[in-house]
Amino acid sequence: MRYSMLYILLMGIVSVCHAQTGDSTFYLNDVVVTGTRTLKLLKDTPIQTRLITSADIEKADATNVEDLLQQEMPGVEFSYAMNQQKHLNFSGFGGQSILFLVDGERLAGETLDDVDFTRLNMANVARIEIVKGAASALYGSNAGGGVINLITKEQSEPWTLNLNGRLARHNERRFGGTYGVKGLWLQNRLSVDHTSTDNFHVSNAANPATQVVSTIYGDRTWNIKDRLVFTPTEGVKLIGRTGFFYREMVRTADTPERYRDFNAGLRGIWDINESDNLEVAYTFDQYDKSDYYKISHWDVRDYSNVQNTFRSVFNHYWNTGSILTAGADFMHDYLVHMNLKGHTESQNSFDAFVQYDWLINTQWELVSALRYDYFSDHKDSQVTPKLSARYKLLDNLNLRFGYGMGFRAPSLKERYYNFDMAGIWIVNGNPDLKSELSHNFNVSADYIKRHYNFTLSAYYNNVHNKIATGIPHLTPLTSSLLPLTSDLYLDYVNLDNYSVYGGDMTVQARWDNGISARLSYAYTNERLPKDKDGNTVNNQYIPARHHSLTARIDWDHQFTRHYGLLLSLNGRALSEVKNVEYINYYDISEGTTTVKYPAYTLWKLSATQRIGHAFKLTLAADNLLNYKPKYHYFNSPMTDGINLMLGLSVDIDKLL
Amino acid sequence: MRSKLLTFTQFTLLLSSLSACHGILDELYDKPSDDVVLKEGQLYVDASSWTDWYYLDLTDVKKGFVRKEIPTEAADAQHYASPPPSEAGGLYTYWYDVFNEGLSKHEFRSFTSTKTQADPESWHIAVHRNNVRTNGGAVYETSYTSMDDLPESSKAFADATFTEDEWNELDVWTVQTQMLQGLIGNQGIPINPVLSSWLKVSLPPIPPTFTLNNHVFIVRFEDGTYAAFQLENYQSPSGTKCCLTINYKYPY
Repeated sequence: MRYSMLYILLMGIVSVCHAQTGDSTFYLNDVVVTGTRTLKLLKDTPIQTRLITSADIEKADATNVEDLLQQEMPGVEFSYAMNQQKHLNFSGFGGQSILFLVDGERLAGETLDDVDFTRLNMANVARIEIVKGAASALYGSNAGGGVINLITKEQSEPWTLNLNGRLARHNERRFGGTYGVKGLWLQNRLSVDHTSTDNFHVSNAANPATQVVSTIYGDRTWNIKDRLVFTPTEGVKLIGRTGFFYREMVRTADTPERYRDFNAGLRGIWDINESDNLEVAYTFDQYDKSDYYKISHWDVRDYSNVQNTFRSVFNHYWNTGSILTAGADFMHDYLVHMNLKGHTESQNSFDAFVQYDWLINTQWELVSALRYDYFSDHKDSQVTPKLSARYKLLDNLNLRFGYGMGFRAPSLKERYYNFDMAGIWIVNGNPDLKSELSHNFNVSADYIKRHYNFTLSAYYNNVHNKIATGIPHLTPLTSSLLPLTSDLYLDYVNLDNYSVYGGDMTVQARWDNGISARLSYAYTNERLPKDKDGNTVNNQYIPARHHSLTARIDWDHQFTRHYGLLLSLNGRALSEVKNVEYINYYDISEGTTTVKYPAYTLWKLSATQRIGHAFKLTLAADNLLNYKPKYHYFNSPMTDGINLMLGLSVDIDKLL
Repeated sequence: MRSKLLTFTQFTLLLSSLSACHGILDELYDKPSDDVVLKEGQLYVDASSWTDWYYLDLTDVKKGFVRKEIPTEAADAQHYASPPPSEAGGLYTYWYDVFNEGLSKHEFRSFTSTKTQADPESWHIAVHRNNVRTNGGAVYETSYTSMDDLPESSKAFADATFTEDEWNELDVWTVQTQMLQGLIGNQGIPINPVLSSWLKVSLPPIPPTFTLNNHVFIVRFEDGTYAAFQLENYQSPSGTKCCLTINYKYPY
């Protein structure tokens, strides 16, 4: 193991020498784990991985993963689904196909297919690794569109204490603190974070083309996390973590909606010998939703998702640099919801995978893998192959190719819910749903020349039996002449082939004068889904925009030993997008219309002053151009103009 | 090596003993049943139905609320594109700007003539979701927020201005089948605007928001008797909206 790691690091150092300053400048010597679940240098990983570093997170001044991803990555769009629940479109894939992980562990709970993004705050996040497509064998169902893995910070100092806060418009407040200690065998980090924002109203012009939002709902969150690392003996590392999350949203004054999460995990890593290591882990995650009836003081839970997961992974390292990885996961998924018959459903899922990472020579590296998934509900199972290759054409030019077959079994919700959407229509679960199967192809190249880094990638995904809500249909009328209650149904169905293709391009530069810049562009083309008969179906979510762009330019200068300044300007621009929607959901014979959602651009200017070693004072103007959407459609930026922010961070340990 | 194996095995066994398949901390939540416990001077009615009125005879409160369906069968099997020349019973379909400006912006779309609402022989008030009718009564909204603080008798309100029921074709929502299009079918019927203000419904968003007005209302009936009403709660124990817990005093 140690020899193997040494080999990886030596290879990295050799590459650094060849590439002069480029690799370290662009974090290409940073270690990533998500693609192969083994430690790989970013520039060497055969599975294309996008890394967002802690420096990027700090510059973005983001509160949660939504703020950060939208600022950092083109092709990422968070919009509203019905009832102002957040929905992610990530290069044409939605929440059911994008797997969010924290230190490799999945999250329980969903609303309209997406996890609760407010759980994923940026406190204590060391880096975020993003693997697009179904390239990795290690994450099965729900990862067909990609994996986003948040890696938490390790404690490196004997003790640290950071306190921070930020104020902005709409009474937006963010306060947090992290206390870390490290001893000979133990290290611990405890973080407590609180955010709150008021509800606020936005105005819309007359005659919108489709539904608009007039009140933006704020929320109040608490996020408490603790992570303990115990090293009882050399080669054995035990990691325990626990967390509590609480969010309250006041849509109706007398009945705030509450969301809670309780999570805990234990992980053991054992370096058996110099060539082998074993990891076992257990994760518990419970996500609850409840309504608090203020008048009667009742807190009534109407949803709970409990996931218990066991995992083991074994790695064998050859001194040639090749790695064999084998592992298995078992998960018990328990769901409570008032819309389920009998109110509860559960299922067990099991997977096993084997992956061989073959370092053929200094130029070629090939990762081949097989994965088997099994779901006890309806006994769905599938074997999926994956293949990725890296070819070092020049010392500073890497090419990557990948193919991955993706698999997604229908969720318990898609099979068993009967959900009355406020009397508008009833979303019907379908027990006969088949599993989705997808084919993902990707190719990429990255090139470094002195102060510049170029990345180019393209992908094509094809999904068979995509699961979505189908064509609305009416049940026969009731005995009365007029139907009195909703008899409009939306059934979950398997659609015809769905495909999405696209590509992205990033240019980064970092000069010696403290200026750095990055420009990223993404093209995404979704072939809108149709049913098995070729009919246009109700597209539950607005599709991805064809063109999107993110840009950032920073200037960082240390004027004196006690004063430094970071100026940062970042922005994003998104093209318009069209969606096919029914003219009349109650009479689909009236046909469809194409609704055009406008393009927009948003920019943020921030100045962070480093005062002494302990203080950071940030002034920022978000939505710098004071953009106010004419209509606040579900995919419009939920803003009413420029937002000034003031933040302060103090490292107490550096004051003493 | 052996000690490490032992440590690791113990750790693995610890992991497997930790699972909580059905979750933890159930005690954080309440599990109310729909059995309502009422205090002296309280009434309860599940008025959540869109298609029914619930009538109360204050001289016989033990009988409880009596349900009467809103007639929806077309009297002449006709839908009309323009409103009737005068106030006529039936279903009035309006378009509301439910996603943008709200209920105050609305347009008439169609009218369906129906049979008239059948009332019981004896009743004082009737409720339909957030709407209230009186049987020939009139209502005054006080500034009191507790029944206990009310003056001894209704004579204290002798000089107050009472409001009678008024014709309404916008608020008694009966047909919700085309709500996504902003179309709602309403029963055309007189309701009392003052007493109905004890529960305000706002759109957007969907689902609507409810705001409770906890003032005490004084109702003067045709026979000269008075009653005091206060809406205590509008939710059932399991959260269904328009399940009304009402404080009352009669005669007052």
